[in-house]
Amino acid sequence: MAASAGGDLPTTYDVIVVGTGMTESILAAAASRVGKQVLHIDGNEYYGGLWASFNLDNLIKWVKDCESGEHLPSDLDDSNSDVKINNGEDFVFLKSSASHISNINLKWHIPKKNNEAQVEQWSRKSQTGHEEEGEGAVVSQPSSGEGSHSRTHTNSESEKMPSTNFIRNGNWTQEDIMREYRRFNIDLAPKLLFARGSLVELLISSNIARYTEFHAVTRVLTWLDGELNTVPCSRADVFATRYVSVVEKRMLMKLLTGCMDSENIVQEFEGFESKTFLDYLKSKRLTAHLLHYVLYAIAMGTDDMPCMEGVERTQRFLNSLGRYGNTPFLWPMYGTGELPQAFCRLCAVFGGTYCLQHPAKALVVSSDRCVGVVSCGQRLVADHVVMSISQAPSHYLEDPSSSGISRAVFITNKSIMPAEKEPLTFLQFPPGPTHPNTVTVIEVGPSTHACPKGLFVLHMTCKQNKSAREDLQEIAGFLLMQDDVNPSDYDITTDTQSTQTSGQESSSTASEGGSGGDDTATVRTKPQVLWSMYFNCAETSKSLLNANVPQNLHLCSGPDLELDFEFAVQQAERLFKTMYPDLEFLPRAPDPEEIIIEGDTPDSPEDEEANSLESDEQASSKQI
Amino acid sequence: MAKTYDYLFKLLLIGDSGVGKTCVLFRFSEDAFNTSFISTIGIDFKIRTIELDGKKIKLQIWDTAGQERFRTITTAYYRGAMGIMLVYDITNEKSFENIKNWIRNIEENASADVEKMLLGNKCELSEKRQVTKDRGDALAIEYGIKFMETSAKASINVEEAFYTLARDIKAKTEKKLEASNPPKGGHQLKATEPQRKPTNWLSRCSLL
Repeated sequence: MAASAGGDLPTTYDVIVVGTGMTESILAAAASRVGKQVLHIDGNEYYGGLWASFNLDNLIKWVKDCESGEHLPSDLDDSNSDVKINNGEDFVFLKSSASHISNINLKWHIPKKNNEAQVEQWSRKSQTGHEEEGEGAVVSQPSSGEGSHSRTHTNSESEKMPSTNFIRNGNWTQEDIMREYRRFNIDLAPKLLFARGSLVELLISSNIARYTEFHAVTRVLTWLDGELNTVPCSRADVFATRYVSVVEKRMLMKLLTGCMDSENIVQEFEGFESKTFLDYLKSKRLTAHLLHYVLYAIAMGTDDMPCMEGVERTQRFLNSLGRYGNTPFLWPMYGTGELPQAFCRLCAVFGGTYCLQHPAKALVVSSDRCVGVVSCGQRLVADHVVMSISQAPSHYLEDPSSSGISRAVFITNKSIMPAEKEPLTFLQFPPGPTHPNTVTVIEVGPSTHACPKGLFVLHMTCKQNKSAREDLQEIAGFLLMQDDVNPSDYDITTDTQSTQTSGQESSSTASEGGSGGDDTATVRTKPQVLWSMYFNCAETSKSLLNANVPQNLHLCSGPDLELDFEFAVQQAERLFKTMYPDLEFLPRAPDPEEIIIEGDTPDSPEDEEANSLESDEQASSKQI
Repeated sequence: MAKTYDYLFKLLLIGDSGVGKTCVLFRFSEDAFNTSFISTIGIDFKIRTIELDGKKIKLQIWDTAGQERFRTITTAYYRGAMGIMLVYDITNEKSFENIKNWIRNIEENASADVEKMLLGNKCELSEKRQVTKDRGDALAIEYGIKFMETSAKASINVEEAFYTLARDIKAKTEKKLEASNPPKGGHQLKATEPQRKPTNWLSRCSLL
């Protein structure tokens, strides 16, 4: 549909943006906001490119597309031949972003479906609130009794239905999960926002915040002495933790105050300029626990992190505390894929044209300028072309191989550390003898719309060493039960102890909508992996461009390794300044109430702009 | 600041380009009509507060911002929507046929219990009519939703349509509240968020 309508596109613009990744979308919004005519196209049928969030069905489709190498560079196959090329111009063919994804490893860890009897027993059990012993093993064979299945389907599809009927511990089937595929929002590039990071500030100052909603991360965990620990972020946390003595609390305070004291920072860190942050912390004679908290959790660093970088990172953490919620971090509802879309919306509101399923096949280049792009048989011309590096031809890049990111996603049946209220967890897994890199772990639950009730989604990200699986499997094993279990293992009936735990689990899940567990439980079983996916993604934030890149072609990096969107925001602002040095970057968009449109005068965006400073009172008096 | 309303409902307008979504929105929010809106530019959403059974209801009605043109509405557009007006143009057969596609799009992206309503707009243009009222009725029945023919230009049924949709959402919301199961949402970032001292954690802890 979209593709067929493509022929209708006007052919001349101020800016053509190819790809709807984060940086591209911010730039599209910024250009449109200052009155530039923007065309924003994407070859995919979804927004976000390598920054997208998918429901489970679309994620599996994405995997298939990546594996089959779909959208690979088109040669001179199709309509390009119709496109006029002038003297001195050349086509530069573009790549597909899919080439930036590798080593995909997707796996179900549960049976496809259970037989009818099992389904009946589950619903009976959850009604009484007890788990029973002596169930038969789960049989993964096609069921002949579709009747009972479809009855359950109807229930689970209704939003009104309390999903307690359907919550079980360790008894999910692939069918159960796929039935709720729409309720997943799984991120290709999960990132948290520092409460005072540049994306939060930009969303607020540009008024794009109105398109987004966030949840505050509820806790910061760390891995210490082989178990999970809560990092104290608030007074309540400090009181709650039994790992920090009163004396230690004073030491911690003194240290953190020192890092924040900008006046005396030079004296404080004199002599440590060329040393590591670890050296500094050691010089403060911190206890092992405190050192761990500060270095690995608060500064999110490694042993060889330079001292001043550690100080900066500590400051960033502390500065973002106390703005929203209990931790310095925010997580976007419905996943990070919402964020590029919020910028796209603003671009559209200010007149930008959107066209998905509209791949750019080639650039039209004339000496050192990019004249435009070829898309769906049209020659589209613009002053500036913005595009993702992932689509750039390799002869534009200094070092096309560059580095990579290892990613893992797990769907689990409970939190890695169950809590009274549904947790939203950030965990920076410190480096260890067998894993040289820190691993960023983000666990999100149903209230963020990451997954249906009763489940959690756990994301892991680290610098690529080998393949994603090799890089992350070990740490996944510390946190999760991800062995290929026999049917009898995930049946809740194998032994008495685990049955009891399961019982507690399911009753508290019923009341809390998926958090589960309680502190009195002495046996803390790890969450079970129901589904897992590993993949590698190229890290292009440090890619160097070479002199072959036309001056008015602006290349945007894909997802980077850092936790926040700092890089994308800064890159977008920097590129905008090269495109339009004299124009403001994303000035505040007026609220709709501030826009007064006269009854009879035809309005152009400029007119609205001029009127946008009408006072609130005047606007609201029109209401009621 | 005191809340000036009892409920806030997010409503969406959906339908092909040119069916008059923005005009419907302006008729309802400003009681104005202007044919010069060739396409939706600069219109994000409009707000109007209405009263139903003594409750003040703030309707926040979102326009597509032209992203419907090539069927590239962001999934984010559907987030948190409680009601959707599906609009077609009675003088345009194709826009009526496409309603089914839009419903599929809604099912894929919006919350499953979103309240929907079908509007056949431009009903003042009877001499150009391509879609009979009966067909509109039949389609609405097929999807179990309400239906009205409207005219943004002649100001026919626009008020009624929004009141009807709002009433249905209100009933549903109140039923949910009775079941003491209010939907939990996220938080929007506000420039005017209560500013606490950045060193809050430190200063508090120094009490120890």
